[in-house]
Amino acid sequence: MISIDSRDPRPLYEQVVDNFRKLIVAGALQADDKLPSVRSLASQLAINPNTIQRAYRELEAQGYVYSSAGRGSFVASSGETNELHRQELLTQFDGLVAELEDVGITRDQLMARLKKGGAR
Amino acid sequence: MIQVNGLCKTFGEVRALDNLDMHVEAGSIYGLVGPNGAGKTTLLQHVAGVMRPDAGSVLVAGEPVYESPQVKERMSYVPSDFYFFHQARVSDMQALHASLFPRFDEARFGSLIAAYELDPRRQVRALSKGMQKQLAFCLALACSPDVLLLDEPLDGLDPMARHSVLGHVMEEVASRQMTVLVSSHNLRELADICDHVGIMQNGHMCLERSLEDLQGGFVKVQVAFAQESDAVPQGLDIVHQERQGRLHTLVVRGAASAVEDLLTQQGATFVNVLPLSLEEIFIYEIGGAQHEER
Repeated sequence: MISIDSRDPRPLYEQVVDNFRKLIVAGALQADDKLPSVRSLASQLAINPNTIQRAYRELEAQGYVYSSAGRGSFVASSGETNELHRQELLTQFDGLVAELEDVGITRDQLMARLKKGGAR
Repeated sequence: MIQVNGLCKTFGEVRALDNLDMHVEAGSIYGLVGPNGAGKTTLLQHVAGVMRPDAGSVLVAGEPVYESPQVKERMSYVPSDFYFFHQARVSDMQALHASLFPRFDEARFGSLIAAYELDPRRQVRALSKGMQKQLAFCLALACSPDVLLLDEPLDGLDPMARHSVLGHVMEEVASRQMTVLVSSHNLRELADICDHVGIMQNGHMCLERSLEDLQGGFVKVQVAFAQESDAVPQGLDIVHQERQGRLHTLVVRGAASAVEDLLTQQGATFVNVLPLSLEEIFIYEIGGAQHEER
């Protein structure tokens, strides 16, 4: 379901979090779908079960999944995950705007571009 | 689960273990790292209860392990050079383990050797080195141990076998809270599987940390200021720095967000946080530990 890149310098749990977040945002995992059990994912990826537990806790803290005692982790409702996705894209947008300003593009130029319909 | 206190062992002139402490919690996977000759194998042999300490104690599940069959029943040890009887077949090794370990699970052993395509009728001596290692894993896991000791477990295994061996170990950890103590000189290998690490040098434990603490302890950051200057940003616990023209590369103790905020406050025009590999973290941690000792 997800894969781990051993050349990626980020900590493993971050990679697991990111993989699932992408699947949820893209709609490959939908509301109330069950995430794989810690045990099956640990043996399949050959990584520490505690790492997966930690990643699931992080996904829950971010609001992408909810857990049910004894039953496992499930994808949160799409309303919530869509809102999280919007927030994430807007943060990326802010970063990009700051970078564009660094290279000398003014807000007016950006506004004009947005009104024209962006790159389309 | 495993407690080692003040362990000393001398072979002739060589002080192999020198007042060594180690603490391994139940259900955790503890990686033992250190250069060749640091004493990793000697330590594992003491934890396995096959060596008598000169001084200090080795407790497994609260009991001294040396000459204690009750404790050893619950442990499996995969040494880096294991011993098989001459002319023994796979099935003979199975019978031997079944007679020694009351918790030996025949059905589990059968499914494990099937997964590695090991024929029970084959002579162990005729198997390749990698296949012998896989057999040692099958025997160790079939004993349903509470504590699994692994000495350089992945040496000589092909990538496929590595993955499936580790997968089987992880499954046991997740389902039965098995505790694993694994040694390696290869840090990358351990980074994927451990949650705690101990670094050994010259028979001594330099430091023991959880992976979570290690990864959160340092930040590597690139930073540039509008004016080119030799001045280094204030208020940071810098363990390493490099400078190329305007661009400083710093390794700092602390959390990423706090470091970023502080640099922005001091007028940095460019701040970029870079991922720090476990190898790098170790270099700075060991450097720091040695510094404190001096």
